[in-house]
Amino acid sequence: MLRIIKTGCILLMGWLIFSCKVEHLTPPNEPMKNIAGSWGIIHAIRNGTDMTNGFDFTKFRIVFTDSTYAIDSLLPFIVTTRGKWVFDDPQYPFNLIFTPADSSRSITAPFLFPVTGGVRNIIFTFSPGCPSNSYQYTLQKVN
Amino acid sequence: MKKITLPINKKSWSWIWKVAGTVIIIVIISCNLTISTVDQPASAPGGSIVPITLHCTITSNNPQTSALVVGILVPKIWNASGNTTVTFTADQTTGPQAMSLIPPNTPSPYGNGLSWQDDMLATIGHAGNLIPEYEWIAFQSNSQYTIAANTTESVTVNIQIKVPNNNVLFNMAYVLAESSDGLHSTAYNNPSTSYYGTFFPPTPLRITGSGTLLDFVNPQLSVVVPGSSLDNDIITIPFNANASVNGLSSANQVYLCATGYTHTKDSIKVCEQTARTRLVSTGQGQWQTNIWPRGFFNLSPTQGLDSMEYYFTDATGATRVGYGGKATPFSFTFSCQ
Repeated sequence: MLRIIKTGCILLMGWLIFSCKVEHLTPPNEPMKNIAGSWGIIHAIRNGTDMTNGFDFTKFRIVFTDSTYAIDSLLPFIVTTRGKWVFDDPQYPFNLIFTPADSSRSITAPFLFPVTGGVRNIIFTFSPGCPSNSYQYTLQKVN
Repeated sequence: MKKITLPINKKSWSWIWKVAGTVIIIVIISCNLTISTVDQPASAPGGSIVPITLHCTITSNNPQTSALVVGILVPKIWNASGNTTVTFTADQTTGPQAMSLIPPNTPSPYGNGLSWQDDMLATIGHAGNLIPEYEWIAFQSNSQYTIAANTTESVTVNIQIKVPNNNVLFNMAYVLAESSDGLHSTAYNNPSTSYYGTFFPPTPLRITGSGTLLDFVNPQLSVVVPGSSLDNDIITIPFNANASVNGLSSANQVYLCATGYTHTKDSIKVCEQTARTRLVSTGQGQWQTNIWPRGFFNLSPTQGLDSMEYYFTDATGATRVGYGGKATPFSFTFSCQ
């Protein structure tokens, strides 16, 4: 009788052990950020002061393709001439790296990519003049 | 055992407890942070270290353990965050206790997400300084300290600010607070003002240095903001028609007439009465325009500006108001402090 119980226990243990399977979890794929298109400034702040209505930002455009950008109606900005751009990390980007065509030097610009009211925004914070002056532009796609 | 009978009836006991309870609560909740006096020089030379002493008291009838917080209102051009040392002594301490700068994104308690610095500006204000080129800097003791119940602690805060060599007239302001209650706590139904103390010195601080006086105290006809700017910044050029009697005191339109001076000593003049140069009224005789100098003066990519001169005109261009209300233009140098 004891032998039957022992054998039963061994078989049960074996069944329990071999019934475990390694589960292969696949993390959800973070979609690639797509910024291709023409973007305009919808909100601008200088040193914490809202400048949106005090200065004409409406004509400024930055047009991104998959790897290039062009600027129309220049204002104080991170770059002043057309060139190429890349994300620092295509899936989880924190910086947008501009390389103007007339320069071999790249400019790394931290940016945010929030969705506000169902619309994707790009927010850049930068200092085009004195380092003590900080500007924050919120850009939205324009048709 | 014989039962003791109190010579007071039940109703009287009820009232005695109510009154005694109220007194006890009033005693427990009383708390006060006060800056009694401030030793601040009337003037100091540019480039020197300005010594300031705050004489304070902290009273609490409830044990309280917190870090001490000190805020100072300063002109931005001092870059005081990096040039200020703050220490304090108190009855319970031995020798000066170190205080450290509170990083600018640290939220203040009950501050609705505002940083200590922004909260100080929103709650305590700007001490009547007229040019919006001021900032609060905030310091916190490196350790927390306990105030025992029913004690009054004397605290002396020593501030040393290394100021740059600019001519400045500025209304200083100070705040004393603690890290637990901040500027908005109404704990124990106390008003929030009992959890911090402020001091506004009756006379402004004059720094005697070089260059045009940056006068925060007396109304100015026009002071460019930000004071530290380059030609690739967006600058605000205001005009205060009420600052002194001038040819545009009652004008209903004001225009900018400006000359930019390049690195190569060329001059570029923009003097027209059009939408491009028109100032916008912000009410009560205040006007302003925001310009991007590189765009306004239509600079080529290789050009840059050293300085700018400007004055204001009426719609005809015939009336001209410059420095001191006269025809001499205002001048602005593009530089970073």
